[in-house]
Amino acid sequence: MARRYDSRTTIFSPEGRLYQIEYAMEAISHAGTVLGVLAKDGVVLAAEKKVTGKLLDLSSTKEGGYGGSGEKIYLLNDNVIGGVAGLTADANSLVNYARTAAQRHLLTYNEDIPVELLAQRLCNLKQGYTQFGGLRPFGVSLLYAGYDPHYQFQLYHSDPSGNYSGWKATCIGANNGTAQSLLKQEYKDDIEVKDAIGLVLRTMSKTMDSTTLGSEKLEFAVLTLDETTKRPKAKIYKPSEIDALLASEGLMKKDEDTEMKAA
Amino acid sequence: MSIMELNGGSVIAMVGKDCVAIASDLRLGNQALGLSSNFQRIFPVTDRIYVGLPGLGTDVHTLWEKFRFRVNMYTIKEEREIEPETFAHLVSSTLYEHRFGPYFIEPVIAGLAKTPSGGVKPFIAATDLIGCLNFAKDFVVAGTASSKLFGMAEGLWEPDLEPEDLFETISQALMNAVDRDAYSGWGCVVHVITKDKIVTRTLKGRMD
Repeated sequence: MARRYDSRTTIFSPEGRLYQIEYAMEAISHAGTVLGVLAKDGVVLAAEKKVTGKLLDLSSTKEGGYGGSGEKIYLLNDNVIGGVAGLTADANSLVNYARTAAQRHLLTYNEDIPVELLAQRLCNLKQGYTQFGGLRPFGVSLLYAGYDPHYQFQLYHSDPSGNYSGWKATCIGANNGTAQSLLKQEYKDDIEVKDAIGLVLRTMSKTMDSTTLGSEKLEFAVLTLDETTKRPKAKIYKPSEIDALLASEGLMKKDEDTEMKAA
Repeated sequence: MSIMELNGGSVIAMVGKDCVAIASDLRLGNQALGLSSNFQRIFPVTDRIYVGLPGLGTDVHTLWEKFRFRVNMYTIKEEREIEPETFAHLVSSTLYEHRFGPYFIEPVIAGLAKTPSGGVKPFIAATDLIGCLNFAKDFVVAGTASSKLFGMAEGLWEPDLEPEDLFETISQALMNAVDRDAYSGWGCVVHVITKDKIVTRTLKGRMD
């Protein structure tokens, strides 16, 4: 009975492992890549979109809203952007939980929730499903890019087991190993946002399955401080802004037709 | 002694031509004893909506924080700002949740709604303390000076006032009403909301 210890999240296998958690992690390592880099004056997030196709209705993401297609990058609070990798349905539920937790903190303390506390809130929930489960854990890893007055800009990662950790640069989802070794080579401790944007986009272009980089495959967000108000400013890029950014970084996909004509 | 009159305070809102105004006095008292002459009970909900919360002082803050919670959740989920009429229903349902142990507040809402053609439409509303909505076309009043405010607004208000005239009308209505009420007064604040800007003015009043 190989499956004796597989079906319930709460039961250890004889080797002392929780199989459901490991399966959840495995599911995430096949999901679209999400990459985050912490800079001196901000945090940068990028994500690879998996749900694409020319019949997909993207009209609502082109204008209105706060940017993003709502697949991978979400605004969790005024001071935190979240990037998700894993089961989309599970992620939606966690995003909703995070937003409510952030607003509950604002109601109680009249201040934005500190980034680590928000990560802890979600991890408490996730951990609960590894112990009191019976069903299955959340198949979602998250990156939290945030700002609070205590530790300034921060980048956290949390996984289905409820573990979380702070990072200078990290990656979740498919090819996260490749991306992380690339980041390890290229990351500089005093990196600024404008250089971090380039680093993130270059790393994404090297690790993504598709050869071309464009707004239909990419979500992008930056958290900085507003110069005048000194409040965190979360910017989730709209498709047109992503294309403009890629063009300015010289990473725009080459239009094959024009190349053919040129040749 | 009514709990609604413990701390005093009044709010009025008026419709103008493509603009709305909302105004309140600045007094916080303990019955006849004045405690503060800078008690803000009007709050910005969005760039185009303000809400005034006359009634029990402690509930002013509690209820505002509750509205802020719910409006923030609406904004982040819907990915757009709340419309005045939607906000009015949010206020109403929030208050009715406490039907048998209510917040002692009678909110007044003023804002500009977006029209499909890209213009703006003035909107005002008020509710009682359990959330019964009153959508008015001209003006709404609430607070300890409400009876006097009704009289002043009936006399001074006219349709299609321009922003500057609306400011004068609402200011005169409020200032003269609160002078006849012992629990309201000690200065006023007036917000005039137009399509492209909000003008906020603080007025001096009688200190007796």
